[in-house]
Amino acid sequence: MAIEGIDTIRCNGCGACVHSCPADVIRMDADTKQAVVKYPQDCVVCCWCLVECPRDAIVFTPTKVAPLFTSWG
Amino acid sequence: MEADVLVVGGGIAGCFAAIKASEQGAKVILADKGHVGKSGQTPYANSFMAFNPAWGHKLDDWMDYINKTSEYVNNRYWTEITIRESYARYQDLVSWGVQFQKGEDGQPIRYPVPPGITDVVRFDETSTGNYAHILRKQALKSGVKILDRITIAELLKQDGAIVGAVGFSTDSYDVYVFIAKATVLCVGACGFKPAAYPPIVQLTCDGEAMAYRAGAEILGKEFVDTHSTRMDTPMGIPNMLGRGRDVPEHLKVLVGPGRGKPETNAEGKPIPDRPAGASLYMYTYLEREFEAHAGRAPIYTPTPAGSKEVVGGACLGMSLRKADGIWPADANGASSLPGLYAAGDALGNMQNGAAYALAGSAIAGSAVTGAIAGAAAAKQALRMRRLSVDAQEIARAKQAVLAPIQRKGGFSPRWVTQLLQNTMMPYFISYIKRADRLQAALTLVEFMQEHLVPKLFARDPHELRLAHETKNMVLSAEMRLRSALFRTESRGNHYREDYPRREDPGWLAWTKIREEHGRMRLIKVPIPKEWWPDLSVPYEQRYPFRFPGE
Repeated sequence: MAIEGIDTIRCNGCGACVHSCPADVIRMDADTKQAVVKYPQDCVVCCWCLVECPRDAIVFTPTKVAPLFTSWG
Repeated sequence: MEADVLVVGGGIAGCFAAIKASEQGAKVILADKGHVGKSGQTPYANSFMAFNPAWGHKLDDWMDYINKTSEYVNNRYWTEITIRESYARYQDLVSWGVQFQKGEDGQPIRYPVPPGITDVVRFDETSTGNYAHILRKQALKSGVKILDRITIAELLKQDGAIVGAVGFSTDSYDVYVFIAKATVLCVGACGFKPAAYPPIVQLTCDGEAMAYRAGAEILGKEFVDTHSTRMDTPMGIPNMLGRGRDVPEHLKVLVGPGRGKPETNAEGKPIPDRPAGASLYMYTYLEREFEAHAGRAPIYTPTPAGSKEVVGGACLGMSLRKADGIWPADANGASSLPGLYAAGDALGNMQNGAAYALAGSAIAGSAVTGAIAGAAAAKQALRMRRLSVDAQEIARAKQAVLAPIQRKGGFSPRWVTQLLQNTMMPYFISYIKRADRLQAALTLVEFMQEHLVPKLFARDPHELRLAHETKNMVLSAEMRLRSALFRTESRGNHYREDYPRREDPGWLAWTKIREEHGRMRLIKVPIPKEWWPDLSVPYEQRYPFRFPGE
């Protein structure tokens, strides 16, 4: 749903996706030195990461799942 | 950190403000909650309005058109300044390396904006990539210090003036204190993070909220934005796909096919064309909302892939361009608080009045006001001695910034945001307004303010940003509902079912918001009498667009 993950075979750790995300969904993993999807629920399908990634390493679908609306949260 | 000028927000307004301030010799810090050059709505713009008499443009024609289509409540001073200075800002962009589409004669191609009085130039990104990167480069070249991923959350106030701000990093638990002689808020417009409009996920009314809490006057928020969206792809139009990159097959649904005309209601009847003299901009007026209210939804748009359903509320929480923002107290974009300026969509200058007509004028307006505010902020700052801010005030602001992360439990920002979205999204609250329904929503929003917002909690710096955004969105909702209640008439993009007519001359006015004794107070500000329409012209001619129930 929206951003699904990072293709770790393709990702070169350039960080362009981290910079480009307006919703701070993606972070750099200090250990693997690659991008990781940390807050997928905040993805708004703007597609900046797709456009900026030089290695086509963003795994993405055009659908988004909205969270269940609960009494509190 | 100390600066002469602190610019908050690095879209086109913030970049122009920072660059112009730096060019005056000021020490400038530009802070953005995202990454300058990739933040806000700026990168999504396709066209730019540039007024140039050498291109045959006539100021009187442009002004007459805007005055009428704005339903007379545009601030003519700002409309005119925007038009007059747009070409100089266009020239700045060109000199910085921004490419515009050119014809074979080497001149920029001008695209007429319906009905053909004005035109725009369009960005050509084939060799440069997105033009917003060039704004960042130019800011750095001008000596501006850019701080990305810093969310500014609280203004610093001393002796009645704004002396800087406090922010935090989304990557660490670090707090940033900025002592600045002048602060320019360029944080963009408002919104409730509507799913249909990804460009505004960061635009959560931070500028107005911080300024309001510090005591500044804010423009009323009754003129809603009326973007609508296709139901089959409610996420991601518009988005960055297709800009300089091939679109993968499985994602093609996110870019089109586009909408067509005429759109039709459930009975197959077309949405009528706009009458002569009314704005022709698609995302103005409430035709689809009127149809839905009458029970004639779904609304359909023709596309090459067949008929597709469309729905309103795409930009929930937003006012039409330049009808959100901080109230301009002077011609430089200064707010009512010394030391605080605003520019871009964060400056409520009513350039477009009650109904937006000119595509391309909003981005140009942001460039114009950014340049004005940046230069003025620098001029003020360079006259001032070094500032020292009371430690107690810094401690107060830091506490306000960190409060959500110090809580162990409470309400999650995501849940409160979802609750707010569900409260405000119904067309009969935000778009087809009536006193009793507005009051009902206001009762719930007041509860959110009093009970939920103070207990927002964040588990990490990412959620701390969400907590502040949520706090600001709830305040924006209160402003939005109170403004809609206050304006007892209909005009342009503000429709009251219980007051369906434009009230001239009584409501030839703007609304202003400020905090007094802990309560939100609204004030009516009449427009200058010289700007009145001719009241001897019959109502139906003065206002060609018909509202239901008039």
